[in-house]
Amino acid sequence: MLRRELLLAWRRRGDIAMPVLYAVLVTVLFPFALGPEDTLLQRIAGGIVLVTVLLAMLLTLDAMFTSDIEDGSLEQLVLSPQPLALLLGMKILAHWLTSALPLIVIAPLLAAMLHLPGPVIPVLLLALLLATPLLSLLGAILVALTAGTRRSGMLLALMLLPLCMPAVIFAAGAVAAAQQGLPWLAPISWLAAILVLAIAFAPLACAGALRIALDA
Amino acid sequence: MTRWIPLWLHRLSSPPTFYRFAGAVWPWAMGLALVAGAIGLYGALVLAPPDYQQGDAYRIIFIHVPSAWMSMFIYAVMAVASFVAVVWRIKLAEVVAMQSAPIGAAFTFITLVSGSLWGKPMWGTWWTWDARLTSELVLLFLYLGVIGLYHAFEDRRQGARAAGFLAIIGIINVPIVHFSVNWWNTLHQGSTINFFGTSKIAADMLWPLLVLTLATKLYYVASLCRRARADLLALEGNKAWVHELVAPEPAP
Amino acid sequence: MTVQTASVSLLEVHALTFLRHDLPVFAPQSFSLCAGELVWVEGANGSGKTTLLRVLAGLLHVGTGTLYWRGKALERDDSAGEILYIGHQLGLKADLTARENLRVAAGLHGSRPAMEPSQALRELGLRGYEDEPVRRLSAGQKKRVALARLLLLPAALWLLDEPYANLDRVGTTLVNRILGTHAAAGGAALVTTHTAPDADDGRWRRIRLGA
Repeated sequence: MLRRELLLAWRRRGDIAMPVLYAVLVTVLFPFALGPEDTLLQRIAGGIVLVTVLLAMLLTLDAMFTSDIEDGSLEQLVLSPQPLALLLGMKILAHWLTSALPLIVIAPLLAAMLHLPGPVIPVLLLALLLATPLLSLLGAILVALTAGTRRSGMLLALMLLPLCMPAVIFAAGAVAAAQQGLPWLAPISWLAAILVLAIAFAPLACAGALRIALDA
Repeated sequence: MTRWIPLWLHRLSSPPTFYRFAGAVWPWAMGLALVAGAIGLYGALVLAPPDYQQGDAYRIIFIHVPSAWMSMFIYAVMAVASFVAVVWRIKLAEVVAMQSAPIGAAFTFITLVSGSLWGKPMWGTWWTWDARLTSELVLLFLYLGVIGLYHAFEDRRQGARAAGFLAIIGIINVPIVHFSVNWWNTLHQGSTINFFGTSKIAADMLWPLLVLTLATKLYYVASLCRRARADLLALEGNKAWVHELVAPEPAP
Repeated sequence: MTVQTASVSLLEVHALTFLRHDLPVFAPQSFSLCAGELVWVEGANGSGKTTLLRVLAGLLHVGTGTLYWRGKALERDDSAGEILYIGHQLGLKADLTARENLRVAAGLHGSRPAMEPSQALRELGLRGYEDEPVRRLSAGQKKRVALARLLLLPAALWLLDEPYANLDRVGTTLVNRILGTHAAAGGAALVTTHTAPDADDGRWRRIRLGA
């Protein structure tokens, strides 16, 4: 299943580049809007990179199930004797690998463009590494819920915002703490704790949501 | 006696019974809500003395606090009803959950607006990223998400179940949000505004508050009954009991 | 363990309906499907053929009535993998080749495939198209790739929604032959179609849906 998803993504490699490009564009816009002052940019760099990455992921979440619904693959998934939660877990993992990982790879570059100090960048990456899978997992539940509907783009953002707020807070908190030279381990541990819970329960919730959404 | 209650609940969950029950309940609830509201407001605006610190502006608390309580209470009702709807697929639970959402959203909105009206003279700002305020805002987003998801589906029962699922996820989320915002805010700015103060509330300020709380609860019950009745009629439009209701004479 | 005879009932349906907006989509259906039986579900457009199949497959919730699988009340965990459903949407990924699609299907099914994907494709007359992305195949060829799943995966009951659509005459006979072999091996199938399937074959039974 994982292989299938990765293979599919590879056949459509152009699509992977889109969120990355989007993230770069948004990040480039900020200095224009705020002025090229180093100190100001430096102070908000961590937050900008985080929010940009999350928005770019939101862009890809929407399409997570659409093609599978259109060609009927999702029916075959639901009918498969394998546990649906496991299959969806694989799908979420593939989504993270194809859409979040490229963004994380490019994040140091974005951070450097905004003059984020070098020692903070590893913390930012760590925070992203923990926050992005959380977003994939939570997003998958919501996308599954909207699977049976036609219009979902804006609705998805509306539903996702309250759910991903803790992730943003802790991730940004860690980066800010690192920037001020304060210990940043506490928010990172909270983030990790939430992620562990999400890994355990989100695929199950996603399967439940999908069953509700597909049933006509 | 213990066997009688589940039986009664089971009966009540059948749409025609609930329709009649709600029809009998709502005028009473609405009437009592109006009476309680009038008494409460009189007590709040006329009888209660002005606060020695905040003057008359504090009186907005009489709107703000009951709405805030209701916004959370209704969400809890909605989540419980959603759980029943998702697990046992009981139509009435779906109706109750989905018809609660707009009422709850309205109360949440009132809470936010009255809170910021109150905040302006008290702390000199309309809005602050305090944990309570932020959580209330998140609650509003959750309500809107539930309502939006419900209306995105063509099949209303399916929409109700999907939105109910979201409501259940949301109730897990709210404590996490509250906690994380609390943590976040204390990190960024040392002091949070303690806007409920430590000042004891005087008895002649307390009773109008409680009466008004009762009034909002009754209003909720009445409003929910009316909305649920209308929704049930729409959902069950093809059933025999609705036809009998609409046309008491035998239809051709 | 009872001896498998032609009269073993695989699927029994009692007064089954499906409700949409509280209205039954089709009149209550009662029938049983025995090993070795082929059933043709007949009905006008919109009479609920596809819905019936989707309910039987477990994609939709049963409105009223009960389903029995091998004599016991149907549990999806027991029957999963034994019922194979191919609907209007074929469940093929357009970006994958025919062979890859079949391999995915076998992986999802979880059991060892009954034959190699390439052999299944050959049986359906797709020799030479194994490594072609499905998007480049014609509608009939896509249908054949989807039907190749029938040969690949061991399942007792086939639920086929319009298997003959888009197929040429050779394809139609091919499907009939596959169905015949399946029935002879003790399998059963429920097929919806507008045109009568192989009428000469005595195994076919008819269910009529709609007014």
